[in-house]
Amino acid sequence: MSKPVPTPSATVGPFFPPHYFGAGDNDLSFIDDAAQRAQGQRIYIAGRVYEANRVPRWNTILELWQADANGCFAHPNDPRAAQADPNFMGWGRRWTENDGFFDFVSVKPGGYLDPLTGQMRAPHINVSVMGSGLMRRLVTTLFFPGEPGNAADPVFAAVGDPAAQARLILKPAKLERAPAGALAYALDIVLQGEDETPFFID
Amino acid sequence: MRAPGPPDQFSPYDAATQPAALVPDYKETLTRNPARALVARPATLTEITGPTHLARKLPTGMHDLSRKNPDGPRAMGQHILVRGRLLDEDGLPVRGSVIELWHANAAGRYLHPMDAQSPAPLDDNFLGSGRVLTDQEGRYEFVTVKPGAYPVPNHAERWWRPPHIHISVFGEGFMSRLVTQMFFPGDPLNEVDLILNAVPDAKGRARMVARQTAMMDMPVLNMVGYEHDIVVRGERSTPFEKPHA
Repeated sequence: MSKPVPTPSATVGPFFPPHYFGAGDNDLSFIDDAAQRAQGQRIYIAGRVYEANRVPRWNTILELWQADANGCFAHPNDPRAAQADPNFMGWGRRWTENDGFFDFVSVKPGGYLDPLTGQMRAPHINVSVMGSGLMRRLVTTLFFPGEPGNAADPVFAAVGDPAAQARLILKPAKLERAPAGALAYALDIVLQGEDETPFFID
Repeated sequence: MRAPGPPDQFSPYDAATQPAALVPDYKETLTRNPARALVARPATLTEITGPTHLARKLPTGMHDLSRKNPDGPRAMGQHILVRGRLLDEDGLPVRGSVIELWHANAAGRYLHPMDAQSPAPLDDNFLGSGRVLTDQEGRYEFVTVKPGAYPVPNHAERWWRPPHIHISVFGEGFMSRLVTQMFFPGDPLNEVDLILNAVPDAKGRARMVARQTAMMDMPVLNMVGYEHDIVVRGERSTPFEKPHA
């Protein structure tokens, strides 16, 4: 019996059901009970997605995946899973609006010593980008400004070019829609162009 | 031997078995994909983990797309049952995993604001999308109606999409996330569809086409059944007793 081969990906297309996006799906700071907030510093991230020629790309799906405030994942592959915050799932989803706008609320992820590479991971958030015209998802990783561990982070380092690395760093910003007490950051995702966001091999 | 844990190893996809990123006649692919090469990076804990209780965010239990409520009238069209297993690359079932499924109605129209210009009629009884959890054997099952074909709007070459069902699965880690489409066996439009044929390998394309099952297997007389297994990426680095296939 030969080894199963992954099913091919296909584009999400333009008709992903709007009702799949529930209230709170873009707020990672709680799971199903907003009174039970995750530990850590709340953050707010907002930006726009652009396709080539700086055309805003609406109807794009973004999904986030990140560690909790202590750098733990509630997943059996994390040796520290038992310490993971029970009020934090680490996953969120949002679609982009007509002007490409998206926003997420979360908590700032902790860094961790990665058991696979033996290296320290700086605080970071993985992002999946899916939509019409994308036969496969695009994946990238966002980092926080001023983190001393960024330079040595194995994923950040893999990008190499400092100008490209800078496009993965969240920018502190004053944002009206940010919840009280949240650190607010701006970040645009540019699918194609001069200031293209670096994407990783999936 | 102890029951194996989730996959912890995610090798790069074999390019021949996945679609090309750029499809010249599908012009949206040309402006929405990066021009620069994708960056190789090591897999770390963030890549080999993923949400374990996603159903707490995403309500499940919606397995009948063919009507809006359990006692309501059914949508028009051929009723079908779509079932299969969600497996990983070790052939093990992916249990308790969210599967989302959506498609056009029997006339080839989506219940979506983006499809408002379609001349095809809406069907008031068609739900159009569902979401379920896989069971302990990785099985999933949906009842629906067979989607219609439709011409892609604003496409000069008259590209018709064959009947297809969109399927979104999560698997057990960030690297196993997959959105795919399921096609129906024997449809002539399959031969010319730009999305199905973006997969170079014929065996890869075959993995997107469901298998029609014998009628006698159906729980309801007028349903046509389709079996469709979905394989997500992921294997285990430590040996375990492989299931007998």
